[in-house]
Amino acid sequence: MSLFHAVYASTVFLVAYVFIATERFNKTLVALFGATAMFFLPLINSDEVFYSRDTGVNWDVLFLLLGMMIIVSVVRQTGAFEYVAIWSAKRAKGSPLRIMILLMVVTAVGTAVLDNVTTVLLIAPVTLLVCDRLDVNPAPFLIVEALTANIAGAATLVGDPTSIIIGTGAHLSFIEFTANMGPAVLIVLLAFVALLPRMFPGFFVADPERVADVMSLDEREAIRNPRLLLQCGVVLLAVFAGFITHQAIHMEPSLVAMAGAGILILISGLEREFYLASVEWETLLFFAGLFIMVGALVRTGVISNLAQQASHLARGDAWTATMLILTVSFTLGSFINNVPYAAAMTPVVGQFATSIPGHSGVLWWALLLGTVLGGNLTPIGASANVVAVGIAKRAGHPVSFWDFTKRGAVVTLVSFVLSVGYLWLRYFAWS
Amino acid sequence: MRAEDLDEQFPVVTVDSDALDAARMIAEHHLPGLVVTDTSGKPHAVLLASEMLRFVLPRYVQDDLALAGVLGDAIADHATQNLAGKTVGDLLPKHPRAITKVDARASVFKLAAEMVQLKTPLIAVTQNGKLHGVITASRLLAAALKS
Repeated sequence: MSLFHAVYASTVFLVAYVFIATERFNKTLVALFGATAMFFLPLINSDEVFYSRDTGVNWDVLFLLLGMMIIVSVVRQTGAFEYVAIWSAKRAKGSPLRIMILLMVVTAVGTAVLDNVTTVLLIAPVTLLVCDRLDVNPAPFLIVEALTANIAGAATLVGDPTSIIIGTGAHLSFIEFTANMGPAVLIVLLAFVALLPRMFPGFFVADPERVADVMSLDEREAIRNPRLLLQCGVVLLAVFAGFITHQAIHMEPSLVAMAGAGILILISGLEREFYLASVEWETLLFFAGLFIMVGALVRTGVISNLAQQASHLARGDAWTATMLILTVSFTLGSFINNVPYAAAMTPVVGQFATSIPGHSGVLWWALLLGTVLGGNLTPIGASANVVAVGIAKRAGHPVSFWDFTKRGAVVTLVSFVLSVGYLWLRYFAWS
Repeated sequence: MRAEDLDEQFPVVTVDSDALDAARMIAEHHLPGLVVTDTSGKPHAVLLASEMLRFVLPRYVQDDLALAGVLGDAIADHATQNLAGKTVGDLLPKHPRAITKVDARASVFKLAAEMVQLKTPLIAVTQNGKLHGVITASRLLAAALKS
């Protein structure tokens, strides 16, 4: 491939990236148009698009997403999430701060098991109900839930689309992923909880009569189909057992998720409109387009060139390399959609890691922490933020860009400092 | 039998009419919906009773039906609260259901075919572009059974 090919591929990718980041056009159409532009000259052929692990569509990511979307579609029919959220709010005995913390816990666990955008979509209506009963502004709750979902999205391989892209691209096992990212996520979440009273001063007060309204909610009414709930519980447990043991049973997480989805469709007897309700075909096509564009960058040598530049900057020093990736990822992840960033950076870090012997793993954790946690700065930094702000607006409690950002900035700054400390203590201090 | 033989005078509201009054009109007269006209009196859209029910529910219940049971029986408060101060225009969706119009000379088969195809329980009969009357699905069915 010539310099012209590399310049052409880079230009197409950058133009597409700008259009995706500014959201001026439908991001799926932009990604597919960019992918089509890569077929010219030609930069990439069908073998490289459909059958190559290095330059092709990452089918593991697409089928892991598809499987989880189907599982989520079915789980949503049970009302289990609503049950747990209302039960938690009642255990808080009407204290807004305790309710917020318990809803954070529900959001974090939901995100680790499902994914962060789905979890925000599930927790938001319950939050609006509880706030309506308490007669308090739901906006702070929705902001906190979006921030929590983003943080918790880094805890497991399925928590966030960027976690799926990076984790699958780096061939990280589910256990390896959670063992390394879980403690960091827990530390950041605990710090976030400690910050809540300062982030929303004077907010956590409720009228005692309104508290009685919350306590009168009957969470058992949320369970619409106990049989389906049992089926979903068993299949979800089996799917997570499959994720944890996927290396031992020689089954990739994508196949585990698809098998779980298939079994759930079969035993639930639900109609197609229900089990496909949460499947976002546009998102899957968007990812496919991104993979093709990134594949062309790999094929033309752009990615290896970037990795060489990064190695040159780091001069073979693992700590410098880690800080470089963490800082760049936090900065870019704060302002632009982090999915295309993750897709482009995964092969870069894959090649960069080979130049840092002995510490190659830590670069993946730096990339994950920066990409996922960086999304908390602005309301457009992550999909969960966009969803939460949109729901707040529809509910008549709009959240301005600044309102979100001044809280997001605190969380992002604390996350960055804690990430630096975590990476240093865990991977460098004792080595 | 032609459309003009079957149609009847039907309560009509404009986009500026009070939403609560419109809801009460549907409830008191057991109507399947209302014909909404624009300010010049031309049929503009159909607002079905089932569509109006959306405004009886809090938004979060519309987003998550599992919460409907949790709320208990306080629906009347929400209905009044959600409709108060709104106009019929506020209740219409972004892309309102266009009213099906047939000419006063249209046959019963044409009427039935339009209703079946567009899944609408009422149809506007026009003459020279002006609303002549409205035919409901139940009235059309009654006429079909009688003949």
